[in-house]
Amino acid sequence: MSKRKRPDSNTPADALTEHEHIIYDVIRSKQDMGIWTRDMKRELQTNIPDNIVTKSLKSLQAKKLIKEVVNIQNKGRKHFMAVEFKPSKEISGGAWYVEGNLDTDFIKVVKDQCIKHINRLKVATLEGITDSIKRSGVFKDDLTKQQIEEIVRALVLDDEILEVKSNGSGEFANIPVGKICYKSMSRGSSGGGPKLQGLASVPCGVCPQINLCTPDGIISPKTCVYYTKWLDF
Amino acid sequence: MVAEYGVKYAVHIITNHFGDLVAKVCDCLLRRGPLTRQNIKRYTELSDEQVKNALLVLIQQNCVQAFSTEQPGTFGDAPKVNTQYAVLFDNILHRLRFAKFLTIVSQEFDKQCGELLQGLLEHGRLTLKQMFDRAKASQQEGNLVVLDSVREILLKLVTAHYVERCPAPEPLLMPTNEEENPARKRGPKSAKKNEESETIEQQVIAAAVPMEAMRFSVVTEMEFDDGGEGKEKSKNRMIPGEKRKHHFLESDDCGAGDEQTVLYRANFEEFIRHLRHKACIDNVRERLDDGAASVLSAMLEATRSAEKKVKTKNSVPLSLSSIYEEVIKSEAGRNMTLDHVRASLVQLGQPPFVKGSSDSYSIEFEKIIEIAQNDEVESIVLKRYGRDAYRIFRLLSKAGRLLETDKISDTTFVEKKDAPKVLYKLWKDGYLHMESFVISVLVPENNFTSMYFVKIWLLKKLVVAGARQSQFLLWKVNKHILWEHVLDEMFHAALNLSLRVACELDQEKELLNLPADKRTGALQDRYNRLRKVRILMESSQMKLDDSIMLFHDF
Repeated sequence: MSKRKRPDSNTPADALTEHEHIIYDVIRSKQDMGIWTRDMKRELQTNIPDNIVTKSLKSLQAKKLIKEVVNIQNKGRKHFMAVEFKPSKEISGGAWYVEGNLDTDFIKVVKDQCIKHINRLKVATLEGITDSIKRSGVFKDDLTKQQIEEIVRALVLDDEILEVKSNGSGEFANIPVGKICYKSMSRGSSGGGPKLQGLASVPCGVCPQINLCTPDGIISPKTCVYYTKWLDF
Repeated sequence: MVAEYGVKYAVHIITNHFGDLVAKVCDCLLRRGPLTRQNIKRYTELSDEQVKNALLVLIQQNCVQAFSTEQPGTFGDAPKVNTQYAVLFDNILHRLRFAKFLTIVSQEFDKQCGELLQGLLEHGRLTLKQMFDRAKASQQEGNLVVLDSVREILLKLVTAHYVERCPAPEPLLMPTNEEENPARKRGPKSAKKNEESETIEQQVIAAAVPMEAMRFSVVTEMEFDDGGEGKEKSKNRMIPGEKRKHHFLESDDCGAGDEQTVLYRANFEEFIRHLRHKACIDNVRERLDDGAASVLSAMLEATRSAEKKVKTKNSVPLSLSSIYEEVIKSEAGRNMTLDHVRASLVQLGQPPFVKGSSDSYSIEFEKIIEIAQNDEVESIVLKRYGRDAYRIFRLLSKAGRLLETDKISDTTFVEKKDAPKVLYKLWKDGYLHMESFVISVLVPENNFTSMYFVKIWLLKKLVVAGARQSQFLLWKVNKHILWEHVLDEMFHAALNLSLRVACELDQEKELLNLPADKRTGALQDRYNRLRKVRILMESSQMKLDDSIMLFHDF
């Protein structure tokens, strides 16, 4: 930063240089989406030399008018946003992201809570689960129905719970017909994935080299180390 | 066409059972399809005698079916009849299932039935006389009793459809291409036509199989020394067969020859149907509970006779009362109330294992099998690629359409930077299908932005001068291709298992030949290890074969 500009750094926004003004306007116009520096340079009406752009960006940051945010789509890119905006879902990755990283601990806690409540309710609708979690007061900030839905869907993919449609009778007695509900896994299956089936229970089923393996080749079942390990009694 | 490792595995089985020569003929037929004896000779470079003997072994063991085709004669010549040989791939695989077949029969019937079936499995095909001789050889009791009981045992097995009469030795295969195809084309959907079009092997089997009444009949009044009565009987039985032309071949044989020439063999189809039903029941028991399994089992029992082929899509409909009637017949279902059965049927309705509408219920075999197949593939994905891949794979498998990388990572809670890596790995190994979209945005000077959406296939480079491109990758599970791929991997694994078992046993050959009293200390330890290895590997072979059946036979 040049000496000449230093006295200005504490003054408000109207004390910007002409270039800073132009750059600030472009960034601010992008609202909660922010902008990548290269895109910004392309959008600038007048040709501003690169070193001036860099300088101006630094100065705007120092004046607390813009901030650098992590773009989840491309973490390597320098992405700027006016300070008054909160990064949009597309940029931040949404509620499950903290500083550009997936908040796995938090997700795990929410998943466990969902499973707990579904187990207790036996069969539950999305609203039922959301309500039940809200009433338990486990989370400081209430989770939205959409957030719970995202977690519940992932649990279905994990094979931890089942997605079923209510038929209005038996265990679904209190749920309207046709409504999607979630159910804990029945006693037969352990949950959290299928039991090891035929192919997955032998070394070849998980072998990374299976495509290179031939009866008399360099990689062959007769000399296979995975087999040797498997048969080591 | 059979997959590459399917062929290798089948040839391996035949080599183990019948040696290299027979295997060579078998390999040739598996790779080239039906051939005449001349052509087999040409391709295998074996002598005529060797080819003939190999074919005889394969036919005796029900692994090859002969058939003849008629070629129109040229210039007024009489039409030429060619004899060709088609290999029956499924029957070769069944050879490793003999233990399973025997278990079924010994569970349902007595020991003698098991012994008779064992004879049929060992020898491929036998006449009643030969079965009688076998029983006599193993038992030193009064002849008359044995003869009667052998016939009785055979009748029991034939009535249960576990044993059948052998198919016609050489049915005439009518050319279907010219006459039937135009009629078929008028069908509503071309997809349906594809599904129904049969391979030559299937056509041959269909042409060779005797009429239902003939297929499962035993000439009960037959006496070996009283040809007259037997002949009359078999003549009576010819009547229903007249509807089918190809049948004359066999009935001629039957009528002209002695009853001693009527050959019987194990009916693999019925055994596979039994195993398919068992797999369905086990799958439902695991997903739901014993009650649902009992209900399904009762429904299978009640509708079994109406099933025409193994790969039946759904059963004939049953009413609640008839299901209940069948349920209480079984030991497990005896204490079930009507309400309990009704509740189990509701349970079975999701996902539709059993489809119900206004008091009629039918079993959705396809759905049950499909879910079991999904489980199998998912368990491979989980073990091979980890939990993130498992979740991603399940998402795509359930969606059944193309999804974009970002959407996938969002829904499955996989880090944005990790998702493409997982997807790429799955794609590389053939578990996913990928399409890439390139969106090119042209940004000319005058601020006028035009957008082109260009879809390209992967690896095809698209160059648009002066444009900014963003590439999007879309992913999908293509079940049709993947299932074949998985089946081939199963054949590969089964072959490997078998080779390794042989290798392990070969290494310890000397140890195995040692008398039991000389195995002490370290030798005994080695022997115990080998025993454990054998148990583990052989049970794995059985389990893997269950999976092969799930993808190939069910």
